[in-house]
Order: sequence, then structure tokens, then C-alpha cells
Amino acid sequence: MGKREAPAKSEANASVAITVYIPGPLRPFSGGRPQVELKNSPATLRDALDELWKEYPGIRDRVVTEEGRLREHINIFVGKENVRYTGDFATRLGPGAEISILPAVSGG
Amino acid sequence: MKVGDTLGNYHVHAKLGEGGMGAVFRARDEVLHRDVAIKVLSSRTIADKPAKELLLHEARAACALSHPNICMIHQVGETGGELYIVMELIAGKPLSALIGKDGLPVESVLRYGVQIAGALTHSHSRNVIHRDLKSPNVMVTPEGLVKVLDFGLARRIRKEVVPETARTLDSLQATSETTMESTGGLTGTIPYMAPELLKGQQSDQRADIWALGVVLYEAASGKLPFLGQTVLETSGAILHQLPPPLPSWVPNSLWAIVQRCLSKDPQQRYQRAGEVQAALEAVQSASVAGATTTSAPAGPATVVERGMRHLSLKDGDVLLLVGTMKGAFLVRSNARRASWEVIGPAFHGQAVYTLAYDGRKGRHRLWASTSSYWGTFLRSSDDFGRTWTNPHQANVKFPAECGVSLKNIWQLCLGREGEPDTMYCGVEPAALFVSHDAGESWALVRGLFDHPHRPRWVPGNGGLCLHTIVLDPVNRERMYIAISSGGVYRTEDGGATWQARNQGIRVRHEPERYPEFGQCVHKLVLHPARPERLFLQHHWGVYRSDDHGDTWQGISNGLPSDFGFAMTTHPRDSECVYLLPIESDEFRCTPEGRLRVYRTRNAGASWEPLARGLPQKGAYETVLRDAMSTDGLNPAGIYFGTRSGELFGSVDEGKSWKLIVGGLPPVVCVKTVVVGAPASSAKIKAEANNLGKKGSSGKKRGKR
Repeated sequence: MGKREAPAKSEANASVAITVYIPGPLRPFSGGRPQVELKNSPATLRDALDELWKEYPGIRDRVVTEEGRLREHINIFVGKENVRYTGDFATRLGPGAEISILPAVSGG
Repeated sequence: MKVGDTLGNYHVHAKLGEGGMGAVFRARDEVLHRDVAIKVLSSRTIADKPAKELLLHEARAACALSHPNICMIHQVGETGGELYIVMELIAGKPLSALIGKDGLPVESVLRYGVQIAGALTHSHSRNVIHRDLKSPNVMVTPEGLVKVLDFGLARRIRKEVVPETARTLDSLQATSETTMESTGGLTGTIPYMAPELLKGQQSDQRADIWALGVVLYEAASGKLPFLGQTVLETSGAILHQLPPPLPSWVPNSLWAIVQRCLSKDPQQRYQRAGEVQAALEAVQSASVAGATTTSAPAGPATVVERGMRHLSLKDGDVLLLVGTMKGAFLVRSNARRASWEVIGPAFHGQAVYTLAYDGRKGRHRLWASTSSYWGTFLRSSDDFGRTWTNPHQANVKFPAECGVSLKNIWQLCLGREGEPDTMYCGVEPAALFVSHDAGESWALVRGLFDHPHRPRWVPGNGGLCLHTIVLDPVNRERMYIAISSGGVYRTEDGGATWQARNQGIRVRHEPERYPEFGQCVHKLVLHPARPERLFLQHHWGVYRSDDHGDTWQGISNGLPSDFGFAMTTHPRDSECVYLLPIESDEFRCTPEGRLRVYRTRNAGASWEPLARGLPQKGAYETVLRDAMSTDGLNPAGIYFGTRSGELFGSVDEGKSWKLIVGGLPPVVCVKTVVVGAPASSAKIKAEANNLGKKGSSGKKRGKR
């Protein structure tokens, strides 16, 4: 049961942790945090998102549809690249990758 | 202690509440720059030595504990004769407040159960028994983190089990705290108490495991496993009865854990909390491994967000629920409806396509659908908009195998009288969902979704939406829905099968003028006093059916245009319908720039314009399908909102109109509520009977 009593992140991963930036409308579901670090060094965006919404389940349905597709007016960037051009959820993540979830400029 | 005081490093900002032991304040630690809670023994009980001892005891016991699922104690002290405990300030809700009538989703039960069991594992390892574990003592933060509170009755034990000492229990009783039940030298809250405690036998950490079983049972089902009308009955049930089975949706593996926790004989229970934690984790892992991509994520069902400022309402007040493209507004008046108070918007920037008020079963619950880039959610408020739920998981969603995703929720419809927990919602892409637990969970109505016509329904200008739901008030098996563009469908078997009911409704968008389905119905209304009669605003034409929708007759003669969206019935007169004609599908504005409501008082044989008080020059307005409604008062109030954000009302059944408020975002829906008037349906029913006795519509014509 000790695993639940030691939630601190691994020191080894600290320097290469992957960061997810949480936009304001989703922060009620990230405990108010504007950014969160992922502990498990996910290799792909899909792994990273799975880890993100395991930790913060309220974010999932706001980012993807029930078919698992990225919502039409939501974009995800890894670094400065929109993942729609880099393999969507299969986009590979390097050490220290920064993931941004952002609403698109559209609508009225 | 009072607000404004400074206590060492702590500056007291606000009073959070008052409990049996005393008051709790929010304070700021000016050194560490963090907010804390300070529990102060009330001056009423400060002279009471046992209470003081109890408080110190609480603090000493809890100070020894450091665990993420246990509320942390920072400091204990005494000032000016007052005892205080400085503790972690927890933002969240008690588990008891999150558990609905039918309990929490299984995933949440497991998630919370694992954490509570973890807290007990930790405290038991340090020889601290909680002894007052119950759902009100378990806080859940917005992140889904459990914090077990109030080790107030915990007592340090030696490694070996020691018997209860009468002296200690007597002293506890002497405090007469409201948080404790004092029966026969026992402390704790009766429904959570283990049999050995009730029998005055030795107790140990296994009493906490019993209480954990009670909390798990309560979380899974919404009910306590042992509860009688009296303390004696409850105690009897705890001692002698088996817990009733949990609902069928609770997996057997969880039920088995609960049953073992609730073994009467402590020897038959789990012996350690860590065993319960491991068992719950095993169920949790199995459920995650077997989950599909759309399975419910674990966590609290919702966060609660601040809505509008407080609206003071009295019985008889009229409340307009106004949904706009950028948020929801509430507009209040008293029964005279002479002046209006407007508050809002709630859901800043989000489109609110439908609103509803559920006043059944003593509820005062508002519902709203909100839509934005981030998806569509149903939100509810039990305090007239002051706070709103914001569910973690989309509450209405298509099963994964459907291959479609929810775009919008267009309509909410409450069940009939006698179905107080039933709700329906109509969505885009066109589908119907039903809830039988007052909106907690929703299921797709497969009978309609699997209809062979569905692949041939085509989107109207607003998308392929199921926008109108009409229940037959008498026949519980019959209901109607309208789809744009699909037409009217009726079920006679409670939703299992559906038949297109569009005979006589003419279309212009395909060569076949009277197709079986595919009509672009804009609005459908039924008067509860004459359930066989329906009125319909089609893309081209206004229609009436006197045979439950089997056949339709055009009733557009006398209207300036047969195009339009909004339509509503008079609350009592089943011959009377209001609508608001729009010039055409190409020019979707009021004809000639004149804003006029049209009314028939003879079921469509003739129409009269109602324009007094409405702008008659340059008013190129549009009123959408759900943006007109009536209240149940006499004389009836009629209200509508425009796409240009103006809300008009008439309190004399349409003779004259006034602007209630302008400058709103585009209005999508207007619903009316008469507060504390759930009996209106009974009234309608009574009048329906009277009308039935009077006979045909023709006899009613001279009524006014």
C-alpha cells in the first residue's frame, strides 16, 4: 500500500518531465493548475493524454469526442507544432516535451 | 474568536460554519501564506471540561497522522480560554452530499473507497481508530481527492486491543454534542456503528472496517444498509438483519467486499483496512482493464461553479429562463408581472439551447445545456442559479459503437406526472436520450436511433437535430418527437418502436410532395387538455392534427407567412395557439419589418395579429423555435425572445406587449416557471375534464 503514500514524482524524471499546459476553461478540472507534469514519460501524445485524464478525468470529454476524436475547434500543440500535422495522437514526444491544449480561432 | 481577529500567525477571515463542537473559521497563515481552517471550541461549551479534553484528544490523535487522505492538523492551542485546532483547509464537498438518491457511479465508489481504506490503513498502523467514520466525515475535493475528517472520536489504542472504559465514554456523553449519538455509553453515529459497539463489547479497528462497509454501501446505492425509524429499529437491523442487496449495476465483486465488511462477527470481516484497500483496487483494475475508450473516468461527478448572484424567490413568483447564444439569464417577477429583475449571464460565453425547471418531488432544480468548443454538457442548479454543477464526464453521450458524437443538446423535457424521476433530452445529431434518475444518468433510446429511416434524415439549417419532445399526458406509452429534417415520429410503446407521422405535411425540397418522412418540422406542440390534438410549424406551413398525428391539415390561412419557428399553446384554452410568422426561408425575418405575434382561438380556423406594444417599423426580427412560452397564470403571460436579444412579454394573453429587457445576446430559448406551483398540471387536468364535458371546439369560441 506504500505506493499510495508516496505520490512524489520520480527524481530521475524531473529534468525530462513532459508538461501539459491547461487552458483556463479546463482548470476547474486540473485543480486550478495552469500546467501539470506527467510522471510516466509517455512516448506518444496518446499516452500522455491517457495519463492526463487518468489524473484529471474532467479534461477528457472537453478535449475529445466520445468517438475519441479531437474536438473540432480544439487544437493540441507539441512544442510549436499543431499535432494535426504531426500524426495526431501518434505524435512522438521527446524528453521535456511541452503539450499545449488550445481553442482554435473560429466561431463567433 | 471572531472574524478579523489575529491569532499568532493566523488572521481570521471568515466563519465557515458551526458544528457540535463549535465554530470553524477560514484564516490566513501570514507567515506561510496559506489558508487554513481553525476549529474553535464554542464559548458555550468551553466551560465544559470533557469537551475540552475531547477536542485535545482529537487533535493529539490526528496530529500523529500524516497521509494524503487525512485532513492534516497543523497546530493546537489555547487562547483566552478558548481551545483551537489549526488544520488544513479543504475545498470540496462531503461525500454524503455527492451521493445521490441512487448512489455514485461504481468507478467513483471504488476511487473514493480505495482512498478511505488507505486513510484507515495509515491510522490503524499508528494505533489510531477513527470510530466515527461516516459519509459526512469524508470530504471530496474537486480533484477527486478524499480527505477523511474529524478524528474527533478516535482514540489512541495500545497495540493490544483494550476494552472500552466506562469513564471515557461517560465523559464523552457528558459533552452532549450533537455530532454524537449517546446511547447506552456508545459514541458514533448509529447507522455506521458496528454490532460489537452496540452490544458494548470490545471493539478495535474492525469497527472502522464495518463503518467503511456502510460508507461503501451508501455510496454504491444511495441508501444506508441498516436504517429504521428509531434508534432501536436501526440498532436491531444492525444486530440481526442482512444488508439488502445492492442494485444490479453494482458488480458482484464490489458487493462481496461490502458484505465482508458488514459481517456481524468481527472475525469474519477483513481484519485490516489494507485488505479492503487491496480488494477495492483489484476491482478497480479489472474495471479499468475492461473499459472502452468511452468508459466513465473515475473521479467526482462534477465540480460546482459559481453562477449568478442570489435571486430571492417566493412561491407564486414568475421566473423566465432565458437561454442565449452566450449564456443563460433568469428574469424574475411576482405574480403581477409588472416589473422584472434580470440576472445573469451564467455560463459566460456558452450557448444555452435549452433550460428546464424540475419542481417535482420537492425539488427546485434548474437544468441547462451548455455548448462551447469544449463540448456540450447538462448542468443543474438547486439554488436558482447561484451555483451550477459542471460534470467531469459528459452526462449525455453516444455509446462508442454508434459511430457518432454529440454536437448539441436542443431540448430537455420532464416526465409526466407520476414519473417524477424521468427526463428526456433531444440532441444533435438527431437522437433521444432518457434518464430515469432525475438526470443523473442518461441512456440512448435505441428504438429511435436504430430506426431504418435515420440514415436518410438530413440536416436542416441548424443541423440534424431532435429539437422537440412532446409527451402524451394521459397515455404513458405515447410520445412524439420532431426532427429537422426528419419529421414527426410517434411511439405507442414507450420508445421501443417509432412510426413516422407526417401524412398531409407538404414539402418543397424533393419531388415527392407528401413523403412518409423527411419533413423539416420546426416546432410541435400539444395541449394537455386535448392530447389527441397537435399543432405543428413546418418549414412551409402550419398544421393541426386531431388524431394523435395520424393525419395533418394545413391551417396557414390568415397568416402573413406560413414560415416560422416559435409556437406555444395557451395554458388552458386548447383552441388557442400563439406563433410568430417569419417571412420565408430565404428572408428569415418578421414580414414587413413588423414584429407581430399571431393567435388563433379556434384551433387555426382564423388568426389575429397581436402587435400592441411591439415595434412595427424596421423590426426585422427572428424568433427561434424554443424562444416563446406561456406561464400557467390567469390571465396567461406570453413571453418571447428575439435573435436580436430583446425579450418581450404580455401579461394579458397577448393583447398588449412590453419589452422586458433588451440588449441580450441572441435568444435561443425562453421557458417559464411559476415558483412553487407544481400543481399546475393537476389544474390543467381538471380543466381538461371540464372541456371534455363541454364537447367540441366550436362551443368554446365565444368564451372570450
